[in-house]
Amino acid sequence: MTELKGRPDTPLEVEEAPMDEAEGLVIVSRSFGRQTWDRFRRHKLAILAGVVLLIMTISFWAAPALSPYGFEEITPDFNQGPSLEHPFGTDDIGRDLLVRTFKAGQFSLLIALLVAVLTTVLGAVVGAVSGYFGGAIDSFLSQVINLFLVVPSFIVLLVVAVKWGSNPTGIAVLLALLLWTSIARVVRGVVLQYKEQEFVLAARAAGAGSLRILWRHIIPNTFGPIIVNATLLVGVAIILESTLSFLALGVRPPTPTLGNLVDAAKGDIDSDPIRVLIPGGFVVLIALCINFLGDGLRDALDPTTRRVRE
Amino acid sequence: MLGYTVRRVLTTIPLLLIATFLIFVLVSVSNDPRSRLAACGTCDESAFQRLEELYELDKPIPVRYFGWLSDVVAGDWGVALSINSIPVKDVVLERAKNTAIMAIPAFFLIAGLAVVLGVYSAVRQYSTSDYVITGFSFLGISMPTFFFALLLQAIFVVWWQEWFDLKPFYVSGLHTESFGDLVSSLTLPVVTLTLVVVAGESRFMRASMLEVINSDYIRTAKAKGLSQRTVIFRHALRNSLIPLVTIWALDFAFLMGGSVITETVFAWPGLGVLLVNSIFAQDLDLVMGVTMFIAVIVIVFNLIADLLYGVLDPRIRYD
Repeated sequence: MTELKGRPDTPLEVEEAPMDEAEGLVIVSRSFGRQTWDRFRRHKLAILAGVVLLIMTISFWAAPALSPYGFEEITPDFNQGPSLEHPFGTDDIGRDLLVRTFKAGQFSLLIALLVAVLTTVLGAVVGAVSGYFGGAIDSFLSQVINLFLVVPSFIVLLVVAVKWGSNPTGIAVLLALLLWTSIARVVRGVVLQYKEQEFVLAARAAGAGSLRILWRHIIPNTFGPIIVNATLLVGVAIILESTLSFLALGVRPPTPTLGNLVDAAKGDIDSDPIRVLIPGGFVVLIALCINFLGDGLRDALDPTTRRVRE
Repeated sequence: MLGYTVRRVLTTIPLLLIATFLIFVLVSVSNDPRSRLAACGTCDESAFQRLEELYELDKPIPVRYFGWLSDVVAGDWGVALSINSIPVKDVVLERAKNTAIMAIPAFFLIAGLAVVLGVYSAVRQYSTSDYVITGFSFLGISMPTFFFALLLQAIFVVWWQEWFDLKPFYVSGLHTESFGDLVSSLTLPVVTLTLVVVAGESRFMRASMLEVINSDYIRTAKAKGLSQRTVIFRHALRNSLIPLVTIWALDFAFLMGGSVITETVFAWPGLGVLLVNSIFAQDLDLVMGVTMFIAVIVIVFNLIADLLYGVLDPRIRYD
């Protein structure tokens, strides 16, 4: 059975029929999910990134569970370099840095995922309402979004983080409040694009109400861009969270995050650079994997944007 | 165009008012100068009262905002309690100058590099060098500023000395004793900023250049027999720079707004470090002064970006 060469992205793929079936060509349709997967599979780097990310995630949970030390446990050996006992060494009060680093990965990843979920929900709701209802609501919400564009939000984030950003949930909420506008703009654009199309008109003629049209007919069209944006957001969130924690304006010890581990070790960089490089390196690796994954997903889920992006 | 400019400038004024008011509210509710006194056992009640009087903490926030605004308009930004009560205005302007010393060379380096990398990878789309440049920009986007800055410090403080017994650059502070000192103390922070900002800018330049290269007038230019060089540099490059001007204005505002992380790591006495220190000191007037100063810079550069775009691209008509 040989596939005919054609445009691989077309929903219908023509295949030569097996000999025992009818003469001629059979048209095999591929589901949307199948097409997406076929496109995604071609992105070797994105697959690799996904695998690395998966391994990292598993190890973030497995290592602390398997380690003989707790992440807040204080051992008598402080400020030690790497050894068999403590492969990453210990910190200034004798906590094992391997278990702290992996536990920090857990916290940082969870915070980033929470940011992505909160941001996506908030952004999608605002964007959908703004795009669908239009009029005064739309112009008000658009003004709010524009305000976020012109105000130096990272600076404002620093100012408010000192009060609300010291725990994982708090910092996640702050970051979501900072980041929601990009998803809102994307969703608003997609909704505007679809709401005048015939299938929406047909649904309305069939008696569907606004909410049903929005939920059943328009929102599903926004899933592609939303998934891509949400993925990339995890990377942005992990960088922002570690940056705030690095400035001691984010999550505070003893709760470890990758950023505050770097902060705790930065004073010893001339004697013990490895303590900075390991947690910092994890941030880079996670963000890099997520960016590659997001790039692959964009090509897979949203093939129409490829021409513009390239 | 004149009408548009006037209108655009006028609409910036309410924007500035709304933005500064919101920032005032956020700063006021999240920074309480009394919180440091609460931790202090030996301080007495009168210290609280002095702070309350100084910042008028007993009045509602909108009232305080208008009080603050009228003072600022009159040239009084308050005093920085955490720096020997010197006027906020003086310290902010002094630090802004230091930030500019770092931001201006960084800006030109970034802008030049972004154009070169963007054009090169667009002209050689899908070549090996395009993929290498793309890979680097992915790395730049994924690299938190603090990590790259610390990495440079580790290399030049620790390893370089071990290997070559040399200390080529200052790793902290601003040294102005001689021009060589200045360059030496600027190098690492500027390299940090460059990597962080150039990643996004060169991607943008590449996309813009590709869009132009694939447009009809470029095909026309090629069809009438112009050389590749003329087509790229005289026709394509100039047009693809138009959208980049906006990005330049915004990135310059970002650099001028104090690159908090870079300044912190390299102990650069600029606006970013000032902001972080004032937050930790809960020095209300100083936090307000720095935040507002940065906000005004960013909003004004947004305005400049918008206006420049209209000037440079005659296809855009405002009526």
